[in-house]
Formats: sequence, structure tokens, C-alpha cells
Amino acid sequence: MTGASSATGGGGRLDWRQVGILYRREIRAALREKTVVINSILMPIFLYPFIMWAALTGILFVQGQTEGFVSRVAVREWPKGHPILRRRLERDEQIQLVEWQRAGGDPERQIKDGKLDALVEFLPASGTNAVLAGNFQARITFNQSKERSASADKRLTSALQQYREDWLKREVRAYGIGPADWQVFSVTERNVASGKQMGTFLMGLLLPILFVVMVAMGCFYPAVDATAGERERNTWETLMSTAASRVSIVTAKYLYVASLGGLAGILNLAAMAATIEPIFAPLLAEAGGTLEFAMPLAALPLMALAALLLAGFVAAGMMIFASFARTFKEGQAMITPFYIVILLPVMFLQVPGLKFTLLLALLPIVNVTMMVRTAISGTFHWVPIIVTLTVSVALIAVCIRLAAFILQFEDVVLGSYSGSFNQFFQERVFGRTRPRKRVPHIIG
Amino acid sequence: MSPTVCVRDLAKVFYDESRGEVRAVDGIDFACCPGEIFGLLGANGAGKTTTLRMLATILKPTSGTATLMGHDVAGDPEAVRRNLGFSSSTTALYPRLTARETIEFFARINGCPKELVRDRVEGLIARFGIGEYANARVDKLSQGMKQKVSIARTVVHDPPVLIFDEPTVGLDVLSAIEMQKVIAEFRAEGKTIIFSTHTMSEAEKLCDRIAIIHRGKIHACDTLANLRAATGQHYLEHIFVHYVERAGAPGGQEIRRDADPGVLGGPA
Repeated sequence: MTGASSATGGGGRLDWRQVGILYRREIRAALREKTVVINSILMPIFLYPFIMWAALTGILFVQGQTEGFVSRVAVREWPKGHPILRRRLERDEQIQLVEWQRAGGDPERQIKDGKLDALVEFLPASGTNAVLAGNFQARITFNQSKERSASADKRLTSALQQYREDWLKREVRAYGIGPADWQVFSVTERNVASGKQMGTFLMGLLLPILFVVMVAMGCFYPAVDATAGERERNTWETLMSTAASRVSIVTAKYLYVASLGGLAGILNLAAMAATIEPIFAPLLAEAGGTLEFAMPLAALPLMALAALLLAGFVAAGMMIFASFARTFKEGQAMITPFYIVILLPVMFLQVPGLKFTLLLALLPIVNVTMMVRTAISGTFHWVPIIVTLTVSVALIAVCIRLAAFILQFEDVVLGSYSGSFNQFFQERVFGRTRPRKRVPHIIG
Repeated sequence: MSPTVCVRDLAKVFYDESRGEVRAVDGIDFACCPGEIFGLLGANGAGKTTTLRMLATILKPTSGTATLMGHDVAGDPEAVRRNLGFSSSTTALYPRLTARETIEFFARINGCPKELVRDRVEGLIARFGIGEYANARVDKLSQGMKQKVSIARTVVHDPPVLIFDEPTVGLDVLSAIEMQKVIAEFRAEGKTIIFSTHTMSEAEKLCDRIAIIHRGKIHACDTLANLRAATGQHYLEHIFVHYVERAGAPGGQEIRRDADPGVLGGPA
């Protein structure tokens, strides 16, 4: 009973027919498992678009609420000769002026208690500033820990600066000096990036991170299910007594975990690509932004490949750790540190001006995420991409070999190995052990 | 009739952190022929399951040999497994597959010809009365129902040798009787059956020959009639105690194969 495309391996013959049968069984069972369906299919599609929508809506809501607040401001000693300033503040609909006396004499206390938002004290100008007639100092007291008070500070600062500008213009005009003479130089800003470019830039920052999280999430439960889950159900023994070779069993399990991880990554990218425009653009437009989100079509095959490469590595890594678990809970506990470790390199993506160099192409996880990031922006650095593919494939091969090696030991497979991951390597790989602890390989 | 299963000086040594070297199976010999139910009778921890696991190629023997249909368990494990149906002491089924899917999966993975799979699966569903719940997921089935599915999946590829490790554990009386009936039917079909149990009545009722295993060694191996004659005891329970006590007594030894031809021979 050997397939047409068989190869020999350490655990018997690799039979692709057997792999196909085992793989279909794993997938069929997995698609009936709520946890796997939620984590590998539903969450990648709905979670992050929903979370991003909820977060952005929340931010806009808070902003709207803050803008809707009227700032309660107490004023002490209006400056002489500036009635316009008083009229402006009185007319400002976002500012409610409270008499100093009505503030109860201790406005600082009231600001701390949240009963008042800010206090403005107009003081006589001192030093060289006092030379100019009508000059004054303004001191604003507020509470940075209270959103409403911080907002009052911003409004007052803005109003006072605007008044100062207007006052200066008026004063210098009296001396026959035009604004161009006293301002000397002016600063204006112009963003040359189009809305589309800004959208691509934001997608490049956001999507690769979510992509790694989703691929890892997609692999997580299948990896535990395929190893520790099998042990917890006592089905390892049943499976090992079938005619399937060990190497076929491990290959099918690996493909099952990797394909669900890859599926999660692809679904997440597709969901984000499909929802980013309709969800984010209107929200950002409300916030004053004009962004266009468009992903180059040429990026899609590369991103799908990235999902498979990343899933291939993550699946093998997770299976290595989960191989030692005897129960589902143990499996989750063993995989979690690996999950966190693979997310750490993604933080590199936040470094400003990061370029997809050959050096980055050598770093696992980072290389694939950089590949996705640059593909989203429509630039394809082929040499780092080829290096990324080579490094990823090599890494996957090493991890699969390691997983297959670990699963050759009968005590590991049957869940009777009591040592740690580190002990296993010390004993079985480096041979640093007492002879009595050695356990023979199972039969392939 | 030539034996389908031959075990010679088979041993399995485990290494345990606290207990050190554990000789779970310590040089056992036996042989079984087609149409025979061979019972391994022993207390918990006697070495029954380890022996059966070695025959099923799940564990590698530390020393000795075992062949099944002429294939060595260590040298050609895949050929051994193709000729074997192994039912572990737990039903150990995939909870998220239906009964029908389970049987079909084991048929395919054990190399049952594609064109025969459907007939084999449906035939077993009918034979074991699984039809009513054939499309129900295994995790929804009762223990008795699961056991039927487990037996169906064990025999679906029509192997010549069947191994049942304590198949009636956890079953109610009626289910256990039904299970015994099914095992007897397999014998009638000419299959070689190796069967482990610690239930004396079950061994008495079913087994053509009984091997009494204690602390990894076989202390007696013969037909019930011959065991009765050898010990002067009628009940298997007393026969079992007789051999176990003899093994535990000073100077007590297992029955050597040179001292008792029944140990190695086929059915008496």
C-alpha cells in the first residue's frame, strides 16, 4: 500500500496517499471544532476589521465628546486696555466664564476636584516686556489628568495666541510697519503624499503586524489539537497501530497545522484589504483625513506566499513545543511563549525609515513581514525577496526535521516523557545523560 | 496449522526516574494460530498491554523477536500493521467524526481497496447494528455504542490478526456479553485473536489457550483443561492464584518453554 510518489524517511516511507487520508481527517474534524473555526477562520475575517473599526469609532466619539464640552474658566483680573479679549472669550461658545468670586476663592482646589476646568490670571508684564504699554502676562492653571481641563487649556492657549497675533498686527500697523516686515519669515506646510500614498503607508504599518498575529493564532489551536489533543483523547495509540507510517502521520499533521495558519493569514489579509477602505476612509474623513486604501494586485500572490511561508515556520515551531504536552492545557502553556517570541520581531517594523535590506531578509518573521509591507506599498525588492524565500524554506525544513525527530521517541509520543524541552535536547540530541535514562526509538 | 503470530524471548525494559530499570515484559514466548483466541491473563501492570503494544509495533522490543504473518515487528512494522487490527483498552475514537466517517477513515488508512471501502463500511454498520447512529458524532455516543464503532474500525480492513486489549473494560454486562459474542464470531471466521483481560470468567469463556502473565513473565500457557489438570484446580481464578503464588514463592520460577511444550506450541 504505497503511493506512486513515495520517499523514504526516518519514520518509514512517506506515502502521499496516506498523508492525504490523514490530512482530510484532521481538517474534517478541525472544521467541526468550535475553537479552531473561531480562531483560524472567523477571527481573521471579523476580529481585526471589527477591532480597528471599534477603536477608530471610539477615538472619534471621544473627540466629539471632548469638543462638545463647554470649558468652565475662571478669570482673575482682566488686563486693562484689552476689552476685545474679554468680548472674544465671552462670545466663545466653547468657553463659559466664571467670575473669580463665584469660583469660591480657591479655584485650584476646584480644578483638582473637576468643578472648574481652568483659571486664567492676567498679570502685569514684568522686565523688558513692561516697556510696551498695555502688555501683560497670562497664566493658565489646569489639571492635565482631566481630559476636560486639558481641553480647556488648549482652547484658552489658542484663543490667547490668536488675540496676541491680532493685537501685534494692530500695534505695529500704528507704527507704519506691515505684517511682512515684522514677521520676517513664515512657515507653511505642504504634504506631497497623495491620499493613496498615505493610505498605503498606513496599511504597510498596520497589516503586517495583524498578519503575523493572525497566522500565529491560526496555527495555535490546530498545533495543540494535532499533538497534545491526540494524546489527551488517547487516539495516538490507535493512529500508530494503523498501517500509516510515522512520517506520513507527522507530515499530515504538519500540513494540517500549516494550512490552517496560512488560511488564517490569507483570510485576514483579504478581510483587511476588503474592509479597510469602506470602514476607515469615512471615519478618517470625519476626522479630517483624506486617505485612499488600494493594494496593488501584483502584491496579492506575494502576500499569499508570505502567509504560507510564515504558517510553515510557525506550524513547525508550535508542533515542536506541543509535542511534549500531554494535555490540551499543557499544550497551550508550552506554545504561548513561542507565540510571544514570534511577535517580538514585528516590533522592528515600527522603526522609522526601515528598509527591506539583505540583513533583514535573513531574520525570520521580520523578513516575511517586511516582504508583505513592501508588497503593500507596491515595491518589490527581488533580491531580499529571494533571500527571504530561501531562508524561510530552510528554516521550515529544519523545524519539520526537528519535529519528526522528537516524534520518533515512543515516550514522547505516548506522553510518558517527564523531562523538559531542554532536558530532552540535552539527553537525546547532545547525549548528555546517564545511560539508564535513554529510551529507544519507536519503530518506524 | 502454522502460527500467524510467533513471539520469542520478547522483552521490554523501561527506564523510570524513580524506579530505575523496569522490565515490563521479561522474555516471553508464545505462538498463536488462525481460528484461535489466545488470552493473556494477568493483573494490572503484569505486562499485558506492553506485550500487545509491541505486537502492534507501537513500542519497540528491547530484545527478542515477534513476527506477525511472517513480518518482523521491528524490521517491517508497516507490513505488520497492515495485517493487524488493534483495539486498545480505551475506545480512543475521534470525537468529532461520525461513526460512519470513523470506520471509513480506518478502512482507507489501513489500505482497504477503494472499491471495497463502501461495502465493507456498510456491511459492518449493518452487522454491528450501528445504522441508527452511523451519522452521529462519536462524542454523542454511549460507551457501548463507541465500543461497537471501535470494533468495526478495528476489523474494517479485514486483517487476519486481531488484538483486543481489555475490550470489555467499562462496558455494562449486556455490552460485554455482546462483545464476547463478536470476538467468538471472528474466531469462527478464522482470524487469529490475541486478547488480554484480567476478568477470569471472560478468559474461561472465550480463550482456546490462556497465558498467565505476572510481572512480565508468562508462568503458564495452555488450554483451560490442561491448566486444570496441571494444577488440580477447577476455577481459573484458583489456577491463576496458584501460578502467581508459585512465582512469588522462594525459588519460584516461570514455566520454562523447555519444561512445558504448551508455551510455544499452537492450540493443544
